[in-house]
Formats: sequence, C-alpha cells, structure tokens
Amino acid sequence: MNFTSVMKSTFFALFLLSSSFSFADDSLKGLEIAIKADKTSDGFVDSQSTMEMQLTNRKGNVVTRKMKSKRLEMKGDGDKSLIIFESPRDVKGVAILSFSHKTSADDQWLYLPALKRVKRIASKNKSGPFLGSEYTFEDLSSQEVEKFSYLFLRDEDLDGQPNHVIERTPLDPYSGYTKQIVWIDKKNFLVQKVEYYDRKSFHLKTGTFSGYKKYLDKIWQASRMEIVNHQNKKKTVLIFKDIAYKTGLSDKDFSQNSLKRSR
Amino acid sequence: MQPIKLNISVKTFIFLILAIFSATSYGEIELLGEASIEIRSFQNEGLFGQEKNHSSFTFSPELYFESENGKDFFSIKPKFRKDAEDNERNLEDLQEFQWTHVGKNYETKIGIRKDFWGVTETVHRVDILNQTDSVDGFDGEDKLGQPMINLSLEREWGVLDLYALIGSRERTFAGEKGRLRTPFIVDTHNPMYESNEEENRIDFAVRWNHYFNDLELAISHFSGTTREPLLIPTPEGNSIKLLPKYDLIDQTGLEALYIIEGWVLKLEAITRSGQDDRFTALTTGFEYTQTGIFDTSLDLGWIIELNHDDREDHSPHAIGTRFSFNDIDDSQLLLGVLWNESTGETNVFIEGSKRIGARTKLSIEGVIFNGGKKVERNNFDFNNVNPLDFLQEEDFLRMELTIFL
Repeated sequence: MNFTSVMKSTFFALFLLSSSFSFADDSLKGLEIAIKADKTSDGFVDSQSTMEMQLTNRKGNVVTRKMKSKRLEMKGDGDKSLIIFESPRDVKGVAILSFSHKTSADDQWLYLPALKRVKRIASKNKSGPFLGSEYTFEDLSSQEVEKFSYLFLRDEDLDGQPNHVIERTPLDPYSGYTKQIVWIDKKNFLVQKVEYYDRKSFHLKTGTFSGYKKYLDKIWQASRMEIVNHQNKKKTVLIFKDIAYKTGLSDKDFSQNSLKRSR
Repeated sequence: MQPIKLNISVKTFIFLILAIFSATSYGEIELLGEASIEIRSFQNEGLFGQEKNHSSFTFSPELYFESENGKDFFSIKPKFRKDAEDNERNLEDLQEFQWTHVGKNYETKIGIRKDFWGVTETVHRVDILNQTDSVDGFDGEDKLGQPMINLSLEREWGVLDLYALIGSRERTFAGEKGRLRTPFIVDTHNPMYESNEEENRIDFAVRWNHYFNDLELAISHFSGTTREPLLIPTPEGNSIKLLPKYDLIDQTGLEALYIIEGWVLKLEAITRSGQDDRFTALTTGFEYTQTGIFDTSLDLGWIIELNHDDREDHSPHAIGTRFSFNDIDDSQLLLGVLWNESTGETNVFIEGSKRIGARTKLSIEGVIFNGGKKVERNNFDFNNVNPLDFLQEEDFLRMELTIFL
C-alpha cells in the first residue's frame, strides 16, 4: 500500500466519519427539540376534557361526534387514557381504555355496552381510521418521545413565527407512517404542524394545532386540532372543551371495572 | 308471553334499591331509550304452516343517574317486545334495575343486571350469568336481566368477582306460530326444576380475571340452576311436547386470549356436571385484522373458530370475514359459514349494519341453511335426523331499524 492510497483511504474514512458525525448531530438536535416539546406537557398528573370531532367530507358536509377523555400521567411508563363516546347515539357508552407504553405495544380494551362486554383488542391495528375520521388511533395516542427516532431538518418561519422543523420516524413496524415532519415553534416548543407520510412515503395528511393555552402555569394544551387528508380531500377538526388538570383521577379510574361503568 | 315474574326475594331487592334511591342526593337524570322495528322474511312457508313474514316492535327506555359524590350509580332499563305472529316472542323484561356503589377498594353491583364473560365471537360457552333470550336473535347474544348481588375486588392480582344470583330465569322458546322453532313445541309454562325452590333458588358464581402483558386469563365457576335446559319429550294427546328441565349444575370455565402481532388467539373451555354425564366443551380460534386494504380505509377481519363438545359427534366450525368500512356511517359487513364436518351441513350467514343520520341505525341479517334432508311435518324418525333437517324451509332475511331516543 503506498502513501497516497493510505491518505486517500484515511481521507475517505474521515469523510465518512465526519458525515456520520453530522448525521448524529442532527439526530441529537432533533431529539433535543422533541424532548423539549414533550416537556411542555410534562407533569400534567391527570386531565379531563370533552372533545368535539367535526368530520367534513369531500362535498363539505359536516357531521359531529362527541367524546369524553380522561388521562393519567404515569411515571416511568406511557400514559393511561379513557375515551368515552357520547354521540352518535348508537355508540353512546362505547369506551376505549389504553395503557400506552414507551417502547412496547399499547394495551387496549374496548367496552361494548349493549353486550356488557369488555374486549381486549390488538393495538397493532392502530393505523385504521378512528370513528370514521381522518385521525387514526396512532395519531391520537400518547406521543411518547421513545416511540420515534429523530432528525433535525432546518429552521424556518411558519405563519411568521420561527420554527424548528424535525423529522421523526416511528420505531414501531406496525405504524401507518414511514415518517412525520413536525414544525415546533422556537419560543415555547409547541407542535404547530405535522405532515404524515404513509407506508409508501406519500404525503398523506397534514395536521395543524392551534389555540394553545397554558394550564397549571406549565402545561400547554392545544384547543383545536385539524387534519386534512390530501388523498381523499376529507377533513377532521377536533375541538377540546372543558379542559381540566389535576382533577384527582387515579389508577382506579382506568381499570376494567371503571371501563364497565364509564358514561 | 314471558311476563316479568318477580318472586319475594326480588321484590325485597327492588324495594331495597328504591330505598337507597330515595336516600341519595343525585345529579342530573339521564333519560334515554331505543325503539326498533324488525321484519323477518322467510323464503318459504314454515314446516308447520307458519307465516312467511314476521314483524316485531321493541322498545327499551333507560333511566340513569348518579350520586353527587360520584360513588353511586343507578340505572333502570326495561325492554318490551311485541311480535305480530308469535306470542311466545312477546317480552316484558327488566334488563337493568341496578345500583352500583364504588368503595375504596371494592365495588358492589346490586339489582337486576347483565354481565358478560368470554372472549370468543361465534359461540359463548363460558358466559352463564344471564339467561339467553333465544327467540330474540339467532346469535344467542340477547339476554334477560338477572337479579344478583355482585362484589368486585380489583387488586394487583386481578379482578375477583363474587356473585350471589337471586333466582333464575327461563329460556325463551318460539311458540307454535314462531320461527325458527323446534319440531315439537317447548312448553315454557311447565318447566321442571331439580331444585325444590324451583326458579327461586339462590345460586353462586365466582370469576377471577387478569392480564399479563399480551395474555388475558379468566377462571370462573358457577354452581346452580342451569341456563341451558334439557328438553324432555312428553306425550300430549297424540302429539309430543318438550318440557324444559332445569337441573342443578356445576360449571368451571376457562377463558384465554393472547395477542401476537396483529393476531388475537382465543380459547373458551368449560366442564359441566349435573346434566347426565360430566362433559367438556371448548371453542378456540383466532381473529386477524388487516387494516387499510387496497389503499382504502377498509379493514378486513378474519375469524376462524373451532368447536368441540363431548355431547355431540361433531360440532360445527365457524369461518367469517368482517368488513369494516370505517366511514362516517360506521358501515360493517360480516360474512360467515358454519360448517358441520360430520353431516356436511353448512349454514351461511351475512350480517350488516350502517348508521343513518345521528340517531338511526339499520341492520340486516341473512341466513341460508344448506344440506340436511327434507322432512315431512308429521312423519320423521327422531333417531335419524340431522341438526339442520328441520331448518330446510327457514332461510331468512331480517331487517331492523333502530331509533335511538
């Protein structure tokens, strides 16, 4: 091996190394931003709200669904949540109990009030539409930091506000997405916009978050979420009302027995 | 007619709950209900000359309220059904009349209520607390209210439910003009009981259930009056009628469900003594769901369930496909076949439902019975019949429109 070839391979190795360094650097920066964004809802303890879901079809017709939501923050694991349907009337009383986990699949139970039956469901099927909307279970479940890998892309303005733009890749092979591009504002680290790319890397949906309010002096919560499906041109708007934190919920409110009497 | 029979203990029970109602300060009263019209259309006139078209009307109001401290819940839900053809299909039932109290680490549910046990989709072997309202639906999922006292303990080791069942209910059976019916009429007015207390006996049941990550387990035991009577042929004039015989049984049940990737594996098994010889029966199978088929929002769910029952040479197996369209109207379609390996009989069924507007739902159901030989009305050999022989004329289409109030 002559000197030139040694130099060449060294340079090549250095080049590779440096490029992988910058790669790691962008991953780290992406992760840092994601952690900061996650902190904006850290320490919420528990929360309750009512949700109004407005589904708009291609022709612009709107139908409304109503739900109640309860959430409990878990230390060292994903959150527990309970969603109870109120309308349309035929699904009133149907409820879904989810225990999300940071890395493993979520545990999920469905309660069917007509049969008084609690049914464990496979949470792997989370990429299907949620109640006929453009949201999937995956979009609405607890977005734990550990569920993605990250990449910082760029800084840019969104609606006149400076934002970080990061790419996150779901680690779960059963995710409905190959990647999501997320806009997070530099000032408060709140998610402003998410572009969802489906399994074929096609830009399927865009979600926007607005009406952020601060609770308990530290928790930020959007009061309006909107998602547009670019493929079928349908839109779903989620409006959060009667938001309350630290309402005294405990594990007992997220048990199979509580699921059976949820109204 | 199946009137609400209230024995002394149930009356005391209702009185007690009413007393608690009046002693509690409660919040807003919720008044709900549903009304439905059902039309069943059979392809042919029945083997016993029954009409081709049957219609019925069902009304079920519901009253619900909870105490201001959020610890007590009350619900009252009667159900009324009027059938145009078959008096035996008329119903007045209290599905719910219950008081739930949530304590520090226990829950009590006292009154008339429904509770379901089980994991499988096509056959429910373990489920035993409530009597089946078998004339209501073909799938056996319609139940009658059961008076009970239930203590539920929810701990780290799972949920333990203890039940004292106050009396038992009789299974509903179609009458002479009803469809689908047994070749001889079941005389629901003269049931036989093993217990001297007849339908007033207090029975007991216990169930423990828990989950370990992706495994759900439940073990249960029931001791008391069977929900599944034996039908005893008894001469009546120059014909025969069937008398339902309610023996005392002991039944132990096992439920297991395991999630592996997108698969849900299921098992329900029972062993029962008290009716002839001890027997075991089980249902096992899986459910697998494919989401977003053909780049649409359609989900395809596959269900296969295999049956074994010591009492039968061969039990029918079930294969089904569920189409969930995930649209605004929550449209669903289930196509399936029940197949009896030994007789070659099949039973093809379709079930569909769709929401119309915010308060109305349309359901359809169709069943076709294949195989089996045609039998004459008054001339058949009881020792040489297959299960579906009497159902050759019974292919039907059912439509139901439900309005939620």
